Amino acid sequence: MDGIPGKGLVKGLAVTAKTMAHRAHTRQYPDVEPDLPPRSRGVIALFEENCTVCMLCARECPDWCIYIDSHKEEVVVPGAARARQRNVLDRFAIDFSLCMYCGICIEACPFDALYWSPEFEYAEYDIRDLLHEKDRLREWMWTVPPPPAHDPMGEPAKEESTAARRAAR
Amino acid sequence: MSERPSILGEPIRFVLNWGRRYSLWVFNFGLACCAIEFIATSMGRHDFIRLGVIPFAHGPRQADLMVVSGTVTDKMAPAIKRLYDQMPEPKYVISFGACSNCGGPYWDSYSVTKGVDQLIPVDVYVPGCPPRPEALLHGILRLQERIAAEQSGPGGVSRPDPVVAAREAELAALTAPPVRPPFPAEPVLPEGVVWHRDRPSSAPVLGPGGRLPVNELSADRAGAGSPFGDDETLPLPLDRISYQRPSSGPE
Repeated sequence: MDGIPGKGLVKGLAVTAKTMAHRAHTRQYPDVEPDLPPRSRGVIALFEENCTVCMLCARECPDWCIYIDSHKEEVVVPGAARARQRNVLDRFAIDFSLCMYCGICIEACPFDALYWSPEFEYAEYDIRDLLHEKDRLREWMWTVPPPPAHDPMGEPAKEESTAARRAAR
Repeated sequence: MSERPSILGEPIRFVLNWGRRYSLWVFNFGLACCAIEFIATSMGRHDFIRLGVIPFAHGPRQADLMVVSGTVTDKMAPAIKRLYDQMPEPKYVISFGACSNCGGPYWDSYSVTKGVDQLIPVDVYVPGCPPRPEALLHGILRLQERIAAEQSGPGGVSRPDPVVAAREAELAALTAPPVRPPFPAEPVLPEGVVWHRDRPSSAPVLGPGGRLPVNELSADRAGAGSPFGDDETLPLPLDRISYQRPSSGPE
């Protein structure tokens, strides 16, 4: 308190003037696309070709919002002793009205069939439309950003180091 | 209802809808963390007043749009229903976030309403847990598209509540005043039970000053008395320790 009258008022007006001199920091969303970080959790995309119907995502989902149906198919390999069996995905659906966007399914998927996409524009008039079936989940795949570049100072991947060791031997 | 647009004509319908979609006085029913995202949307960075959503409604009676953001519990359900009924027509509801869409992570909970659409009709469902502020803006845009396509009349569009028709009795229970059990003046004890401690037959004898005999002010020591008796030095001498066998079995 140095007793200059009106000091606080001048200080406040200075802040006001400074703010007035700045541009508004409002994001003009519908007109300008928001620049979301590539790892932002908007929607889960399914890369259907990678899915082996192991059901790990559906089992790990804390909300149980993943629905998977499948059947087995016999693949006759010429020359093999007996026919092989493989799983065929009939239905893969994620209920986005229920999903809590924890990403555990993406972490759990051993074959990289699930990906995060930063898309968020899928509000619906009917809650049943929030159940995205596999064709719609496949559509989200086109919006998945490329994976981040490797850390140049980082440890090389296990496959690379093993291959290098083999070559050196 | 279907004749009204022809009575009013397309230009008037357009003007009415134009006015309605760009002056959505919003009433935020913030119940959990999604309310924070709603507040973030109303602040300077996202600023939904750009879209005509005005967050200064004094209450539900002055609001056009209700944004239910957060976990709706069964205990909160009558309040939501009541406040929605207080809103004037035309009124719109955005369900914001997984919890108000269908219960979200709490879909198996005993106390959470599995979706606010069990109580009130919802126009737009915004998915997310919580949704981004941009997702709410997108939901508002979807709602505005819907309002623009409405066949509006002078008193708004009569939208029969699908919930009311389906479950009249449940809604009557929701909007009914709370029923409380009568408070018993005397505790009712079952007959034929041996209680370990008898209920005192008379009021306790009061100590000096009209207080109960043992308290911090009238007792000569702080705290409750010792179960071994006051003014005892522990450990007790051996001849004062008595041991009673809990049963009369063999020695």
